Amino acid sequence: MLATIHFLNILLPVLYLAGFLVYYFDFTKDVKGLNNTKRIFLFVTLVFHVFYLFARTVEFNHPPITNKFEIFTVLAFSIMCSYFLLELLTDIRNTGMFIIIFAFFFQLFSSMFIEDLIEVQEVLRNRLLGIHVISAMLGYSGFTISTVYGLLYLMLYKSIKISKFGLMFNRLPSLETLEKLSFNSLIIGFILLTIAIIIGIIWLPSAFPNFSYLDPKLVVTGVVWIIYGLVIAAKYSGFWYGRKLIIFSQIGFAVAILSVIATIVFKDSFHSFY
Amino acid sequence: MNLVGITINHRTAPIELREALHLSKNEIVDLIPKLKETLFNEGFIISTCNRTEIYGIPKVSKLHYQHIIDFLLENKNISGLKPEHFEKYFSCGAVKHLFKVSTGIDSLVVGDSQILGQVKEAFEISEDMNFSGSVLRRVFDVAVKVGKRAIRETEIGEGAVTVSYAAVQVVEKIFASLDKKKALVIGAGETGELAAIHLKDRGVGEIAIANRTLSRAEKLAEKIHGEIIPFSQLKDHLHHFDIIISATSSNELIITKDDIKQMMKRRKGLPVVIMDIAIPRDIDPGSQEIDNVFYHDIDSLEVIVKQNMKKREKEIPKVESIVMEELVSFFSWYNTLEVVPTIKRVREFFEDIRKDELEKIKHKVTDDDYAKLEDMTRRMIGRLLHNPTIKLREIAEQGTNIQEVETHSVILKELFGLNNGHSKIYKPEESDIPKKEESKVE
Repeated sequence: MLATIHFLNILLPVLYLAGFLVYYFDFTKDVKGLNNTKRIFLFVTLVFHVFYLFARTVEFNHPPITNKFEIFTVLAFSIMCSYFLLELLTDIRNTGMFIIIFAFFFQLFSSMFIEDLIEVQEVLRNRLLGIHVISAMLGYSGFTISTVYGLLYLMLYKSIKISKFGLMFNRLPSLETLEKLSFNSLIIGFILLTIAIIIGIIWLPSAFPNFSYLDPKLVVTGVVWIIYGLVIAAKYSGFWYGRKLIIFSQIGFAVAILSVIATIVFKDSFHSFY
Repeated sequence: MNLVGITINHRTAPIELREALHLSKNEIVDLIPKLKETLFNEGFIISTCNRTEIYGIPKVSKLHYQHIIDFLLENKNISGLKPEHFEKYFSCGAVKHLFKVSTGIDSLVVGDSQILGQVKEAFEISEDMNFSGSVLRRVFDVAVKVGKRAIRETEIGEGAVTVSYAAVQVVEKIFASLDKKKALVIGAGETGELAAIHLKDRGVGEIAIANRTLSRAEKLAEKIHGEIIPFSQLKDHLHHFDIIISATSSNELIITKDDIKQMMKRRKGLPVVIMDIAIPRDIDPGSQEIDNVFYHDIDSLEVIVKQNMKKREKEIPKVESIVMEELVSFFSWYNTLEVVPTIKRVREFFEDIRKDELEKIKHKVTDDDYAKLEDMTRRMIGRLLHNPTIKLREIAEQGTNIQEVETHSVILKELFGLNNGHSKIYKPEESDIPKKEESKVE
């Protein structure tokens, strides 16, 4: 089993890179016949990744959420899984390369530094923590995908505005579609982050004696949640559309990234395990 | 193959001459009986705004191209036409040219999507008037096949190549579905009409027309089942529309940047596409600075047109290879026509011998044995003639040496005495049949 885990550890970044290249090739060259091939390739990669996560859980007797490099591989998987579902639901297949690149880097860093940990803190074996972390990861995956589509929206917006009808203009879906993809991913991300926060609020005080609502990471996560909540409210109230909305959600993502950095900077947080 | 063809097109003659020579459907219908009477056994005429072409199989072997040109001029009184305004094609060249025309690579706008339909129509008229035989029918079938393959297998027809289409292409890059969008076309002239028709073809939900002259607006609105916005109230209605296309002949701006700002306020910032395809422009170009306003004028749309034209031109070699492939296939078929009568006569000759010999023993054997013999001899003749038939077809299909095909046919006919059309079955005398002992090789 250990040999298989080590083999998959090397194979997964290779598969993600290959997937990225297939999607890149299709985006730039518009090769007929690659449409289904790339989707099947992505599916096979995900199957390998599921097996890898499962094998790690069984072999090391804990879900792979106990250190940041284990988290990275879960993040890579959840980003790819969310994208795959989105591609299946919308049948928009041209934008994969912009998402896979994130999964590739997360998996690459994970594969480079991940260790075979058997001994972990007892609190990290808790099931509620597993749900808390996985929903948070899926939530952040949603925000990452939303941000990528948001950036693509802004790029296409600019190229149409300045009449630059190049590759992006020819290959990307319409602005309205990009806005919809970005917003829908954001909503899914928001719901999952909300679940993560609720579980956190219920479980953390009982699990950690030094729990504090003023913990830096909790505060920043709260700010992220409020920003995304405002974006959703602004959209549904008909107050903001298109570019303004996208820019605001990009700010939300920037703050979310800051929250990750915050956990590294503020080492004295109770919320830091690694 | 003695197919001849003449063409006058955008490469050979100016637009005035092409227009003057254009033949309507009725004119073609009137001309065909005359062509049939004087020049061709079978043929067809293609006439579009950019080309007029006549193809046919001549009644006499020494038909000169000038006769066809003269025929055209007799029936269409045009001055200034010279022989150099026509391209002339014969046999393989004529078929190849027709195939190229069908694919649109010979059109003024490369990859023109209408030409295949026009070629089809030309053949249909010819068919209806009994002016096409089996060879021309095959030419037509292959021409249509080539045209369809070009569309399916290459990108020769991809992308907008007119300003109106380019405008629609940009609109489709902004809105996901057009069926719930409202469009306003300002100006009911030729360009406005074309734009309105393109929008309707693309499934835009509602289209409204605004024009200074109300009657023209009404006429266009009726054509596209759209509504009319009074020109004097234009600015009050702008905010209702997601797409605005302006193509008036006004010499001054009819919509200012402030008007657009007002409109965006009333739209609460919802995106709007403005296509100003008028010269001089109708809408203040400064509007493009406003958020969610996608303003494009004719210059920016021309960029798309040029890009798409370049892409289509890159596809020409691919289309040409399809043309060549189908041309080879067509002539392989055509060349076998030369040997079909020979093969048929050889088979008939062998069949006659078989039947003759079977007749001789019919009453000497049982019915069962006769049936077996009949079956056996049929198979034997089939096997004997299989290789010569295939070989002859192969030589003909290669089409590299017509002389070789003819030589083989002549040898076959000579060997079996088929030259007079009535083969005489050789019936050997008793003395001609060697006795078993005599035939033994010592």
